Amino acid sequence: MSQTEDLLKRLPNDIGGMTAEPIVQVEHMLEPWEKRCHALADVLDFHKILNTEEKRRGVEGLGSEMIGKLSYYERWIAAFANIFFQKGILTPTELAMKMEEVAARLPETPADACANS
Amino acid sequence: MKSHSHDHDHTHHHPHAEIIEVAKPGYYEIMETAVRELLFEKNLITPNEIRRQIEVLDSRTPALGAGVVAHAWVDPAFKARLLADGRKGCEELGISFYDDTQLIVLENTKHVHNLIVCTLCSCYPRPVLGLPPDWYKLKPFRARAIYEPRAVLAEFGTYIPDDVEIRVSDSTAIVRYLVLPMRPAGTDAFTEEQLAALVTRDAMIGVVPALSVTAEPAP
Repeated sequence: MSQTEDLLKRLPNDIGGMTAEPIVQVEHMLEPWEKRCHALADVLDFHKILNTEEKRRGVEGLGSEMIGKLSYYERWIAAFANIFFQKGILTPTELAMKMEEVAARLPETPADACANS
Repeated sequence: MKSHSHDHDHTHHHPHAEIIEVAKPGYYEIMETAVRELLFEKNLITPNEIRRQIEVLDSRTPALGAGVVAHAWVDPAFKARLLADGRKGCEELGISFYDDTQLIVLENTKHVHNLIVCTLCSCYPRPVLGLPPDWYKLKPFRARAIYEPRAVLAEFGTYIPDDVEIRVSDSTAIVRYLVLPMRPAGTDAFTEEQLAALVTRDAMIGVVPALSVTAEPAP
Protein backbone atom coordinates (compact mmCIF):
# COMPACT_ATOMS: atom_id res chain seq x y z
CA MET A 1 0.00 0.00 0.00
CA SER A 2 1.35 3.41 -0.94
CA GLN A 3 1.88 5.99 1.75
CA THR A 4 -0.78 8.32 0.40
CA GLU A 5 -3.30 5.51 0.11
CA ASP A 6 -2.77 4.80 3.78
CA LEU A 7 -3.37 8.47 4.64
CA LEU A 8 -6.65 8.36 2.73
CA LYS A 9 -7.85 5.23 4.50
CA ARG A 10 -6.89 6.38 7.97
CA LEU A 11 -7.98 9.84 9.05
CA PRO A 12 -6.23 11.23 12.14
CA ASN A 13 -8.81 9.99 14.69
CA ASP A 14 -8.89 6.47 13.26
CA ILE A 15 -6.15 4.93 15.37
CA GLY A 16 -7.81 1.72 16.55
CA GLY A 17 -5.54 -1.20 15.68
CA MET A 18 -2.35 0.78 15.27
CA THR A 19 0.78 -0.09 17.21
CA ALA A 20 1.45 2.26 20.09
CA GLU A 21 3.47 2.79 23.25
CA PRO A 22 2.66 1.16 26.59
CA ILE A 23 -0.17 2.83 28.48
CA VAL A 24 0.82 5.45 31.00
CA GLN A 25 -2.00 5.85 33.51
CA VAL A 26 -2.10 9.64 33.46
CA GLU A 27 -4.99 11.74 34.70
CA HIS A 28 -5.51 15.31 35.83
CA MET A 29 -8.25 17.35 37.45
CA LEU A 30 -9.77 19.54 34.79
CA GLU A 31 -8.70 23.16 34.91
CA PRO A 32 -11.60 25.58 35.33
CA TRP A 33 -11.46 26.65 31.68
CA GLU A 34 -11.42 23.00 30.56
CA LYS A 35 -14.53 22.29 32.59
CA ARG A 36 -16.21 25.39 31.16
CA CYS A 37 -15.26 24.19 27.68
CA HIS A 38 -16.86 20.81 28.40
CA ALA A 39 -20.00 22.46 29.76
CA LEU A 40 -20.08 24.70 26.68
CA ALA A 41 -20.02 21.66 24.40
CA ASP A 42 -22.86 20.03 26.35
CA VAL A 43 -25.01 23.17 26.30
CA LEU A 44 -24.41 23.59 22.55
CA ASP A 45 -25.53 19.98 22.12
CA PHE A 46 -28.73 20.63 24.13
CA HIS A 47 -29.54 23.49 21.75
CA LYS A 48 -28.80 21.32 18.69
CA ILE A 49 -26.11 23.80 17.66
CA LEU A 50 -23.28 21.25 17.78
CA ASN A 51 -23.51 17.49 18.26
CA THR A 52 -20.91 14.93 19.31
CA GLU A 53 -20.20 13.70 15.79
CA GLU A 54 -19.71 17.24 14.48
CA LYS A 55 -17.33 17.84 17.38
CA ARG A 56 -15.33 14.72 16.60
CA ARG A 57 -15.21 15.57 12.90
CA GLY A 58 -14.24 19.15 13.75
CA VAL A 59 -11.27 17.88 15.73
CA GLU A 60 -10.32 15.57 12.88
CA GLY A 61 -10.51 18.55 10.53
CA LEU A 62 -7.72 20.24 12.49
CA GLY A 63 -5.34 17.76 10.88
CA SER A 64 -2.86 15.38 12.40
CA GLU A 65 -0.21 17.98 13.31
CA MET A 66 -2.58 20.04 15.47
CA ILE A 67 -4.19 16.89 16.87
CA GLY A 68 -0.73 15.80 17.97
CA LYS A 69 0.34 19.11 19.47
CA LEU A 70 -2.78 20.54 21.11
CA SER A 71 -4.21 19.24 24.36
CA TYR A 72 -7.68 17.69 24.45
CA TYR A 73 -9.69 20.82 25.26
CA GLU A 74 -7.43 23.02 23.13
CA ARG A 75 -8.48 20.84 20.20
CA TRP A 76 -12.11 21.17 21.20
CA ILE A 77 -12.23 24.96 21.37
CA ALA A 78 -10.23 25.32 18.15
CA ALA A 79 -12.64 22.92 16.44
CA PHE A 80 -15.69 24.76 17.82
CA ALA A 81 -14.41 28.06 16.44
CA ASN A 82 -13.92 26.54 12.98
CA ILE A 83 -17.36 24.93 13.05
CA PHE A 84 -18.97 28.25 14.01
CA PHE A 85 -17.18 29.98 11.15
CA GLN A 86 -18.48 27.32 8.77
CA LYS A 87 -22.03 27.61 10.14
CA GLY A 88 -21.94 31.38 9.93
CA ILE A 89 -22.50 31.70 13.69
CA LEU A 90 -19.24 33.60 14.20
CA THR A 91 -16.76 35.33 11.91
CA PRO A 92 -12.99 35.08 12.33
CA THR A 93 -12.78 38.87 12.75
CA GLU A 94 -15.40 38.86 15.46
CA LEU A 95 -13.54 36.17 17.38
CA ALA A 96 -10.18 37.86 16.98
CA MET A 97 -11.58 41.14 18.32
CA LYS A 98 -13.28 39.43 21.25
CA MET A 99 -10.10 37.54 22.10
CA GLU A 100 -8.17 40.83 22.19
CA GLU A 101 -10.79 42.31 24.46
CA VAL A 102 -10.72 39.28 26.78
CA ALA A 103 -6.91 39.20 26.88
CA ALA A 104 -6.78 42.91 27.77
CA ARG A 105 -9.35 42.44 30.51
CA LEU A 106 -7.83 39.39 32.21
CA PRO A 107 -5.07 40.14 34.72
CA GLU A 108 -1.44 39.33 33.89
CA THR A 109 -0.81 37.81 37.29
CA PRO A 110 -4.11 37.02 38.92
CA ALA A 111 -4.17 37.47 42.66
CA ASP A 112 -4.92 34.35 44.64
CA ALA A 113 -7.93 35.44 46.63
CA CYS A 114 -7.48 32.56 49.05
CA ALA A 115 -3.88 33.37 49.93
CA ASN A 116 -3.13 34.66 53.41
CA SER A 117 -6.75 34.76 54.33
CA MET B 1 2.84 30.92 55.96
CA LYS B 2 -0.59 29.67 56.44
CA SER B 3 -1.42 26.96 53.99
CA HIS B 4 -4.81 26.79 52.40
CA SER B 5 -6.24 23.74 50.76
CA HIS B 6 -7.68 24.24 47.31
CA ASP B 7 -9.23 20.82 47.27
CA HIS B 8 -12.85 21.18 46.38
CA ASP B 9 -14.85 18.42 47.92
CA HIS B 10 -18.06 19.47 46.17
CA THR B 11 -20.00 19.48 49.40
CA HIS B 12 -19.96 23.26 49.58
CA HIS B 13 -21.76 25.50 47.14
CA HIS B 14 -19.97 28.67 46.21
CA PRO B 15 -20.41 30.01 42.69
CA HIS B 16 -17.92 28.46 40.30
CA ALA B 17 -16.70 31.83 39.14
CA GLU B 18 -14.79 31.94 42.41
CA ILE B 19 -12.52 29.05 41.48
CA ILE B 20 -9.08 30.55 41.58
CA GLU B 21 -7.04 30.94 38.43
CA VAL B 22 -3.43 30.20 39.30
CA ALA B 23 -1.69 31.07 36.04
CA LYS B 24 -1.91 33.67 33.33
CA PRO B 25 -4.66 32.54 30.99
CA GLY B 26 -3.31 30.91 27.86
CA TYR B 27 -4.32 31.44 24.25
CA TYR B 28 -6.90 28.65 24.23
CA GLU B 29 -8.40 29.69 27.53
CA ILE B 30 -8.86 33.19 26.11
CA MET B 31 -10.41 31.63 23.02
CA GLU B 32 -12.84 29.64 25.17
CA THR B 33 -13.92 32.76 27.05
CA ALA B 34 -14.28 34.74 23.82
CA VAL B 35 -16.34 32.06 22.05
CA ARG B 36 -18.60 31.61 25.05
CA GLU B 37 -19.18 35.36 25.50
CA LEU B 38 -19.93 35.86 21.80
CA LEU B 39 -22.53 33.08 22.00
CA PHE B 40 -24.05 34.81 25.06
CA GLU B 41 -24.18 38.11 23.16
CA LYS B 42 -25.97 36.40 20.29
CA ASN B 43 -28.47 34.90 22.75
CA LEU B 44 -27.69 31.38 21.56
CA ILE B 45 -26.85 30.18 25.08
CA THR B 46 -26.96 31.74 28.56
CA PRO B 47 -24.42 32.00 31.38
CA ASN B 48 -26.87 30.21 33.64
CA GLU B 49 -26.92 27.18 31.34
CA ILE B 50 -23.13 26.91 31.52
CA ARG B 51 -23.19 27.31 35.28
CA ARG B 52 -25.90 24.67 35.60
CA GLN B 53 -24.05 22.20 33.33
CA ILE B 54 -20.87 22.61 35.39
CA GLU B 55 -22.95 21.59 38.40
CA VAL B 56 -24.23 18.59 36.49
CA LEU B 57 -20.71 17.57 35.47
CA ASP B 58 -19.55 17.92 39.07
CA SER B 59 -22.39 15.71 40.24
CA ARG B 60 -21.36 12.80 38.01
CA THR B 61 -18.78 10.50 39.56
CA PRO B 62 -18.04 6.75 39.44
CA ALA B 63 -19.99 6.44 42.71
CA LEU B 64 -23.17 6.57 40.60
CA GLY B 65 -22.06 3.64 38.44
CA ALA B 66 -20.92 1.76 41.53
CA GLY B 67 -24.41 2.11 42.98
CA VAL B 68 -25.91 0.70 39.78
CA VAL B 69 -23.53 -2.28 39.83
CA ALA B 70 -24.12 -3.03 43.51
CA HIS B 71 -27.89 -2.88 43.00
CA ALA B 72 -27.59 -5.28 40.05
CA TRP B 73 -25.59 -7.69 42.24
CA VAL B 74 -28.30 -7.85 44.91
CA ASP B 75 -31.41 -7.63 42.73
CA PRO B 76 -31.54 -10.17 39.86
CA ALA B 77 -34.73 -8.69 38.41
CA PHE B 78 -33.09 -5.24 38.26
CA LYS B 79 -29.99 -6.77 36.71
CA ALA B 80 -32.10 -8.31 33.96
CA ARG B 81 -33.72 -4.95 33.23
CA LEU B 82 -30.34 -3.20 33.32
CA LEU B 83 -28.82 -5.65 30.84
CA ALA B 84 -31.87 -5.28 28.60
CA ASP B 85 -31.67 -1.46 28.58
CA GLY B 86 -28.80 0.18 30.43
CA ARG B 87 -30.16 3.69 30.23
CA LYS B 88 -33.61 2.76 31.54
CA GLY B 89 -32.00 0.74 34.34
CA CYS B 90 -29.92 3.72 35.45
CA GLU B 91 -32.89 6.07 35.14
CA GLU B 92 -34.83 3.69 37.38
CA LEU B 93 -32.25 4.49 40.07
CA GLY B 94 -32.67 8.21 39.51
CA ILE B 95 -29.63 8.78 37.29
CA SER B 96 -30.67 11.17 34.53
CA PHE B 97 -29.01 11.14 31.13
CA TYR B 98 -28.17 14.67 30.16
CA ASP B 99 -27.04 13.63 26.69
CA ASP B 100 -28.66 11.75 23.81
CA THR B 101 -26.74 8.55 24.43
CA GLN B 102 -27.85 4.98 24.88
CA LEU B 103 -26.11 2.73 27.38
CA ILE B 104 -25.32 -0.94 26.97
CA VAL B 105 -24.27 -2.73 30.16
CA LEU B 106 -21.86 -5.62 29.58
CA GLU B 107 -21.80 -8.38 32.19
CA ASN B 108 -18.55 -10.05 33.12
CA THR B 109 -18.84 -13.78 33.85
CA LYS B 110 -16.52 -16.70 34.47
CA HIS B 111 -16.36 -17.08 30.70
CA VAL B 112 -16.36 -13.50 29.40
CA HIS B 113 -14.41 -10.40 30.36
CA ASN B 114 -15.50 -7.06 28.88
CA LEU B 115 -13.40 -4.00 28.14
CA ILE B 116 -14.63 -0.67 26.81
CA VAL B 117 -12.75 1.80 24.62
CA CYS B 118 -13.42 4.65 22.19
CA THR B 119 -10.95 4.21 19.37
CA LEU B 120 -12.05 7.36 17.51
CA CYS B 121 -12.03 9.81 20.37
CA SER B 122 -13.28 9.81 23.96
CA CYS B 123 -16.86 8.55 24.12
CA TYR B 124 -17.58 7.34 27.64
CA PRO B 125 -20.65 6.74 29.84
CA ARG B 126 -20.38 10.22 31.37
CA PRO B 127 -23.84 10.37 32.97
CA VAL B 128 -22.95 7.40 35.21
CA LEU B 129 -19.14 7.66 35.54
CA GLY B 130 -18.32 11.34 35.10
CA LEU B 131 -15.46 12.36 32.83
CA PRO B 132 -12.94 9.76 31.61
CA PRO B 133 -9.33 9.56 32.81
CA ASP B 134 -6.74 11.03 30.45
CA TRP B 135 -5.25 7.63 29.56
CA TYR B 136 -8.65 6.58 28.17
CA LYS B 137 -8.42 9.47 25.70
CA LEU B 138 -4.79 8.96 24.68
CA LYS B 139 -3.40 6.99 21.76
CA PRO B 140 -1.89 3.92 23.47
CA PHE B 141 -5.18 2.75 25.01
CA ARG B 142 -7.33 3.71 22.01
CA ALA B 143 -4.96 2.10 19.49
CA ARG B 144 -4.12 -1.11 21.29
CA ALA B 145 -7.21 -2.13 23.29
CA ILE B 146 -8.96 -3.63 20.27
CA TYR B 147 -6.14 -5.86 19.00
CA GLU B 148 -4.13 -6.81 22.06
CA PRO B 149 -6.52 -6.45 25.00
CA ARG B 150 -4.67 -9.06 27.08
CA ALA B 151 -1.44 -7.09 26.82
CA VAL B 152 -3.29 -3.86 27.65
CA LEU B 153 -4.98 -5.46 30.66
CA ALA B 154 -1.64 -6.84 31.85
CA GLU B 155 -0.36 -3.25 31.99
CA PHE B 156 -3.11 -2.59 34.52
CA GLY B 157 -2.05 -5.70 36.46
CA THR B 158 -5.03 -7.68 35.20
CA TYR B 159 -4.34 -11.19 33.91
CA ILE B 160 -7.27 -12.92 32.24
CA PRO B 161 -6.99 -16.72 31.87
CA ASP B 162 -6.71 -17.96 28.29
CA ASP B 163 -10.00 -19.83 28.52
CA VAL B 164 -11.87 -16.60 29.27
CA GLU B 165 -13.06 -14.73 26.20
CA ILE B 166 -12.26 -11.02 26.10
CA ARG B 167 -14.79 -8.81 24.37
CA VAL B 168 -13.82 -5.24 23.54
CA SER B 169 -16.65 -2.81 22.84
CA ASP B 170 -15.89 0.34 20.85
CA SER B 171 -18.05 3.29 21.92
CA THR B 172 -19.72 5.72 19.51
CA ALA B 173 -21.25 9.18 19.74
CA ILE B 174 -24.63 7.69 20.60
CA VAL B 175 -23.90 4.24 22.10
CA ARG B 176 -21.86 3.99 25.30
CA TYR B 177 -20.93 0.99 27.39
CA LEU B 178 -20.53 0.17 31.08
CA VAL B 179 -18.94 -3.01 32.40
CA LEU B 180 -20.80 -4.91 35.13
CA PRO B 181 -17.89 -6.58 36.96
CA MET B 182 -18.22 -9.94 38.69
CA ARG B 183 -19.27 -9.78 42.33
CA PRO B 184 -16.21 -10.59 44.46
CA ALA B 185 -16.18 -13.80 46.48
CA GLY B 186 -16.85 -13.59 50.18
CA THR B 187 -19.37 -10.75 49.93
CA ASP B 188 -22.58 -12.69 50.58
CA ALA B 189 -23.24 -10.83 53.82
CA PHE B 190 -22.36 -7.40 52.44
CA THR B 191 -24.88 -4.60 52.31
CA GLU B 192 -25.51 -2.85 49.01
CA GLU B 193 -23.51 0.11 50.29
CA GLN B 194 -20.54 -2.12 51.24
CA LEU B 195 -20.70 -3.73 47.81
CA ALA B 196 -20.72 -0.37 46.04
CA ALA B 197 -17.48 0.53 47.81
CA LEU B 198 -15.80 -2.38 45.97
CA VAL B 199 -16.75 -1.07 42.53
CA THR B 200 -14.20 1.32 41.06
CA ARG B 201 -14.23 3.43 37.92
CA ASP B 202 -11.58 1.25 36.30
CA ALA B 203 -13.58 -1.90 37.07
CA MET B 204 -16.51 -0.39 35.15
CA ILE B 205 -14.19 0.39 32.21
CA GLY B 206 -13.06 -3.23 32.46
CA VAL B 207 -9.33 -2.76 33.01
CA VAL B 208 -9.46 -4.26 36.52
CA PRO B 209 -11.87 -6.49 38.47
CA ALA B 210 -13.93 -5.17 41.38
CA LEU B 211 -11.93 -4.88 44.60
CA SER B 212 -11.38 -8.12 46.41
CA VAL B 213 -12.34 -8.30 50.06
CA THR B 214 -9.42 -10.56 50.93
CA ALA B 215 -6.67 -8.92 48.88
CA GLU B 216 -5.75 -6.27 51.42
CA PRO B 217 -5.73 -7.64 54.96
CA ALA B 218 -5.69 -5.03 57.69
CA PRO B 219 -2.14 -4.19 58.80
